[in-house]
Amino acid sequence: MHAHADSLLLLLADARLPVAGHTQSGTLEPALAGGLTVDDVPFFVATRLRTVTRVEAATAVVALHRIRSGLKLDDVERAWAARTPSPAMRATSRTQARALLRLTSRLWPAPAPPVVELVETPHLDRLEDRRPTSRAVALAHAADRAGLSPRSLARLVAYDDVQTVCAAALKLVPLDPAVVTGWVFDALPLVDRLADEVAGLQLPHQIPASGAPQIEAWAQAHATATRRLFSA
Amino acid sequence: MRDSSRALRLGVCGPVGTGKSSLIALLCRELAGGLGLGVVTNDIYTDEDARFLRSAGVLDPDRIRAVETGACPHTAIRDDITANALAVEELEAEYGDLELVMIESGGDNLTATFSPALVDVQIFVLDVAGGGDVARKGGPGIERADLLVVNKTDLAVHVGVDREQMVADATAAREGRPVVALSRTDRASIDALVSWVRSQLSTHTAGTLVPQDPGPMAPHFHADETGGTLHVHDHDGLHVHEHAHR
Repeated sequence: MHAHADSLLLLLADARLPVAGHTQSGTLEPALAGGLTVDDVPFFVATRLRTVTRVEAATAVVALHRIRSGLKLDDVERAWAARTPSPAMRATSRTQARALLRLTSRLWPAPAPPVVELVETPHLDRLEDRRPTSRAVALAHAADRAGLSPRSLARLVAYDDVQTVCAAALKLVPLDPAVVTGWVFDALPLVDRLADEVAGLQLPHQIPASGAPQIEAWAQAHATATRRLFSA
Repeated sequence: MRDSSRALRLGVCGPVGTGKSSLIALLCRELAGGLGLGVVTNDIYTDEDARFLRSAGVLDPDRIRAVETGACPHTAIRDDITANALAVEELEAEYGDLELVMIESGGDNLTATFSPALVDVQIFVLDVAGGGDVARKGGPGIERADLLVVNKTDLAVHVGVDREQMVADATAAREGRPVVALSRTDRASIDALVSWVRSQLSTHTAGTLVPQDPGPMAPHFHADETGGTLHVHDHDGLHVHEHAHR
């Protein structure tokens, strides 16, 4: 018996998924330290959806297409890395990817289908075979196993990003959680739009180069900050 | 199933300032000569603990890894252990000689204990300066951690705590589980701690170690209620939060 893809999407979008999500703020912590105020957070969320999160969602969608087509992922990883210039953000993404791959290999213990070239694809079951994988590509592996559509995968990336920033806001600035959930609610049309826009992408060069230099700079500064709650 | 050929995973938890980092530094000094060691720290707000241990010069700095906890030290050692498990697995993958990995929790409250999915054995650390009555208050770590350390016993006279009474309270609360009254100026107490760790290593290597969960709270039996159901109490009086939840 197989779970419906909708149920698996709920599972993967749930903050209780054990992938160390509580260590992330989506760069909100250094952004607040860098001068943003509480009132700016909804705009920060929208900016991420237009920039860094767009890169991640598009990367995930392209990776999913290539996994399902039995193609290698190395050029997807390279395209993502080229569009994510901050080493700190890449390192954080890869740490999150390891947590996801660790979980994915438990939920779907069967080895990856033979059409997937393991030269560039992490073998999900053996730590020593894990090559640096981005979170976007790790999510694409999970989406493949879960039977998610490209649109659902993009929606998952975007929604998780919004919730990550907003949940971190509750720890960083004292707020009524209903207000923060209102921010998430208001961002949902942007999540939908992003999912629609990137769902059809198939080629690495189609991944938008829509980074946000200020967000990257904040992430980079955060990696060496000695006092912080969240990962860079 | 646990793999007895991998390193023993020893958790060290307890409230802020009771001497968890110092205890780990002490164990590194005592054991580094003969054992392959690794350390994972969990700081709440800084990487102070990792830096302290690296600067103590007791271990190759690369064998000391810091895990961020997003202000949730209890989550990182109990419900979502992923970040810590990855750090331990990476240390094991990079250092083939590891025999003991010590995981230091972020200083939390009296109810925070490790999941047996993350550690094989755990030490709960109190200190006399935190108050002589803390041991009597009990709680999962105090009552059921594999070892309770009452630390800084040399300070007892300076903070008006009856050392013997505190140790007696702790011993009574633990129903026979071991207690070490530790002071870095008391060689015999250090030997007792090291000897306990070595005995855990032997049990682990022999494959007979069964990790125990101290539990969030022990189930209490209420005979006067229908059917004598077991249920879990959350004793709010035990929550001594020492970090700001915001």
